[in-house]
Amino acid sequence: MNAYVITIATIITIYAIVVCGLNVIVGFAGQISLGHAAFFGIGAYSAALLATKAGLSFWAALPLVIVITAFIGLLLGLPSLRVKEDFLAITTIGINFIVEAIFLYVPFFGGALGIGGIPRIMLFGVKLKGFGFFYLCLFFLLLVLIFCWWFTRSWGGLACFALREDESAAASMGISPVRFKLLAFVVGTAIAGLGGALYAHYIRFISAGDFSFSVSVLLLSMVVLGGMGTLWGPVLGALILGALPEVFRPLVDYRYLFYMLLLLLMIRFQPGGLLGEGSLVRRRFTRTLHKQQDDI
Amino acid sequence: MNEALLAVQEVTKYFGGLKALDQVNFEVNTGEILGLIGPNGAGKTVCFNLISGVYGASSGRIVFNGRRTDGTAPHQVAKLGVGRTFQIVKPFASLSVLENVLVARGIARYPKLSKIWSSWKSRSEGQKGLKMLNRVGLADLAHRKAGLLPLGNLRRLEIARALTVGTRLLLLDESFSGLRHEEITNLETLIRGIRDDGITVLLIEHNMRVAMGLCDRLVVLDHGHKIAEGPPGAIQQDERVIAAYLGRKGTKDAA
Repeated sequence: MNAYVITIATIITIYAIVVCGLNVIVGFAGQISLGHAAFFGIGAYSAALLATKAGLSFWAALPLVIVITAFIGLLLGLPSLRVKEDFLAITTIGINFIVEAIFLYVPFFGGALGIGGIPRIMLFGVKLKGFGFFYLCLFFLLLVLIFCWWFTRSWGGLACFALREDESAAASMGISPVRFKLLAFVVGTAIAGLGGALYAHYIRFISAGDFSFSVSVLLLSMVVLGGMGTLWGPVLGALILGALPEVFRPLVDYRYLFYMLLLLLMIRFQPGGLLGEGSLVRRRFTRTLHKQQDDI
Repeated sequence: MNEALLAVQEVTKYFGGLKALDQVNFEVNTGEILGLIGPNGAGKTVCFNLISGVYGASSGRIVFNGRRTDGTAPHQVAKLGVGRTFQIVKPFASLSVLENVLVARGIARYPKLSKIWSSWKSRSEGQKGLKMLNRVGLADLAHRKAGLLPLGNLRRLEIARALTVGTRLLLLDESFSGLRHEEITNLETLIRGIRDDGITVLLIEHNMRVAMGLCDRLVVLDHGHKIAEGPPGAIQQDERVIAAYLGRKGTKDAA
């Protein structure tokens, strides 16, 4: 594999991590968020600042980055999650624009110049780049997937599913809607913080534009394409939507046309996502599974 | 029939300028089946929503088990042992039937952040959930997706969930509507069984035959007022009740 492919693969893996976080909010708890890139950005900016201004290593800063992002997620989630559906979508878009503007206009965050000179990650005295960094990202993606798998089996996860399906019925079963929406939001933003930290140390120069509203739309598209509420959907969504622009690169500006066409076809024919309820992939998979069981 | 488990005292509820309930008083005694009846728009479901904490009362008090609960959030009312069903069924559609009941089994854990991280997919939880499903006759459908069940089964599923939560008081909002004749008979048996297990039942019912046959006492609402209260036999003879349902004699004869 050449460096170009490894770069794309690393970026896709980082996106997959962030999208897993968004899936906790959108897929598990059913709360639409069109501002997830803001938390991706908050993670990246805190990692960048802790590395360049405080001189902390990636490993020392990582827990702090996750806590900072989750805490800001908590603060912003508290008022946002009191509104529902369309209103929540608009509120989270607002959050995205405000956070992006703060990165862009406050000198502390580097303003329009962004933050550069972010050091590489050191592991056992070795500077991670290329394959090394890619494997590190894969490792974190695996951790996130294990966490998400475990979350779906926890009582907290079950409460989130119930909220997603019907809020008033969930409340009549002792589930505080505000508390569990916040839980999902904080977990989702914490995972976005992790992705942001990896992104900052990989790209090593970040600016506000990397975390704009269009990135939030991309992240949400990845969740929807892969299958909301599934475990592997976010990974598949990130893989397809991350790789497509590269595959279609010879088409230059027309590639986004194909991109949109694909999304429209998905919404028309596979509304649950590629791995979602009643999708082609899942039906085929369960059929093979049943056939195997019959054979035994 | 001794002391009151639930007391609705002078409760008034406004929605803007509309008075949905006007100084309504009634009590539900421990161990009884109390029916809340009345024509459409009488305020029955509003009353349920006040008791279960969905709305706050504009004035008056609601006392459950010696404790004032008006203004308490729905999830906290549930925690006190009040389970409810919904007039329009609200299943967790994409979860399985068993998972629907397991959601309710988590009630003791949800208020404590430290208790929600363990797994609900344990054998013992599954068995307890199945036992509850068995009680309402849904054990065979445990692994079916709840959204695919017909209405009669969904009503039973809601009762199973509410029963898991409502260890003291069960609020049933028109559980019989839309059911076939034999389903009605089975559900009556189930509700009597629930009462015999020591759970107090407050139910809203439109089917008069069911309400008369099943309930120990009835409370009749009309346009937000309580117009009658008593055993089914007396309610049947009550002139105000007859008037509320059928209209007063002579007023609309021309039509």
